Amino acid sequence: MRWKILLLIAVAFVAAFWFVTRPQSLAPADLATGVPDLDNGAVVFHAGGCAACHGEDLAGGLEMTTPFGTFNVPNISPDPDTGIGAWSELDFANAMLLGVSPEGKHYYPAFPYPSYTRMDMHDLHDLKAYLDRREPLAKEAPGHDLSFPFNIRRGIGFWKQRYVTAAPIVADEQLPPNALRGRYLAEALGHCGECHTPRDRFGGPDYRRWLAGGPNPDGEGRVPNITPHESGLAGWSENDIAYYLESGFTPEFDTVGGSMVKVQENFARLSDQDRQAVAAYLKAVAAHAGEH
Amino acid sequence: MIRSKALIASLLLILPALPALAGDSPQEQRQELMEDVGGAAKKIGKMMKGETEFDAAVANQALVVWAESAEPFGKLFPEGSDSGYDTEAKATIWSDPEGFEEQLALFAEKTSAAVAANPQDLEALKASGGAVFKVCKSCHEGYRVDD
Repeated sequence: MRWKILLLIAVAFVAAFWFVTRPQSLAPADLATGVPDLDNGAVVFHAGGCAACHGEDLAGGLEMTTPFGTFNVPNISPDPDTGIGAWSELDFANAMLLGVSPEGKHYYPAFPYPSYTRMDMHDLHDLKAYLDRREPLAKEAPGHDLSFPFNIRRGIGFWKQRYVTAAPIVADEQLPPNALRGRYLAEALGHCGECHTPRDRFGGPDYRRWLAGGPNPDGEGRVPNITPHESGLAGWSENDIAYYLESGFTPEFDTVGGSMVKVQENFARLSDQDRQAVAAYLKAVAAHAGEH
Repeated sequence: MIRSKALIASLLLILPALPALAGDSPQEQRQELMEDVGGAAKKIGKMMKGETEFDAAVANQALVVWAESAEPFGKLFPEGSDSGYDTEAKATIWSDPEGFEEQLALFAEKTSAAVAANPQDLEALKASGGAVFKVCKSCHEGYRVDD
C-alpha cells in the first residue's frame, strides 16, 4: 500500500516537472505581417548587438566562458543547414521571444532572450527580413560544454518561470517621455541588463539591483554600475552618456574597453535620438550601490 | 681642493633630481606620460564634444603634447615591465610586438599629421583629433587590460 502512494507521488512530481518546464510556442496569429522595413531591420540588428556574439559574418564562433560551462555561439547566417536560413518566422519568434528552438527545446539564457522577450513584433518582422538578406555561410558551431545539472535543457523551464518576464523592468511613471524609447533599447534590444545587472547563484538577474554592475559573467574583471549612483554614472550627464555611445570616450576621455567596445560601435550606428533616449533612461533608473 | 669641493657640492645639488630622471620604473614613466596624453585628449575632446569653446592655441598646444609623447612612449615597454605599479599594459604588447609597434607608428603618424594640419576651426580639429582618437581606441582595445 505504502509503496503505491510513494510511486504515485513520484509520478506526480515527474508529471509536474514535465508540465512546468515544457517549452512554449507562439501562435502564427501573433506574428506581424506586411512589407518589412529593412532599414529598421538594420537598426534592430545593431541595437540588438547580434554581431557582437554571432560575429560580423553571423557564422558564430565566439566562446562564452561562464561559471556553468562554455557556450559556443551558433551560426545565425541564412545558411539552411548550419545557420537559420530554413527557419520560419514563427521559429524565429519562438527563439527570440521565448527562447525555444524550432525543435521545441529550451535555449540557454546565454542567448539573451530574457531581454529580447520584450521585443516588438514589428521589429522582429523587420529583423527577420534583414537577416534573411545577409550572406549565408556554411559553418557548424560546436555544441556547448556544460556541467551537470546545467546540461539538462529541460531544467531551463524552471529558470524561465523564475526569471523571464516580458514586462518592463522600470515602470512608465518613473520615466520621462523621451526615456520610453530608451527603455526599449536598453531593456529589450540592447540587453544591457544581461551584463550590467548582477546575477544570483542560479545565473538569474537580480532585478532589485538592476544595472548595478558586478562580476563579468564572461571572463575577467568587473562590469560597471550604470545606474545614477555615485559608484555608477552619477557624474555623467545625459550628453556624456550619448557621446560615449557615439564615440567610445568617457567624460575623462578615456576609451571604452572590453566587450563594451562592440556594443558601443553598434550604438554608434544608431541615431542620435536613440542614443539620447538611452541616456535619458539610464539617468532615470533607480540608483543602486555597486557590489564590492 | 677648492675645485673638488665645488664639484661635490654641485653633484649634491643635482643628486635629488636624479631619481626622477632615471630611477622611475618604466611602468610609472609611461603612466605619467599617459596622464599627459589623457590631459591633452580632454582639452581636445571637450572642444570636439562642444563642452568648451574652440580655442586654436589651446587645441594646437594639446596636439603638440600628443605628438611629442609618441616617440618616448614606444620606449617605455621593455621586457619585464608587464606587471607591478598597477600597470594596465596587456600581455599582448609583448606577445604581439608587431601589432603594438603598428599602433605606436599610427599614433606618431596621426599626431604629427594633426600638428602639421594646424587646425584653425572646430571642423578641422574634429578631423585631425578624430583620427588620433581612433588610434587611442584601437590601441587600448588590443593592448590595455580592461578591468
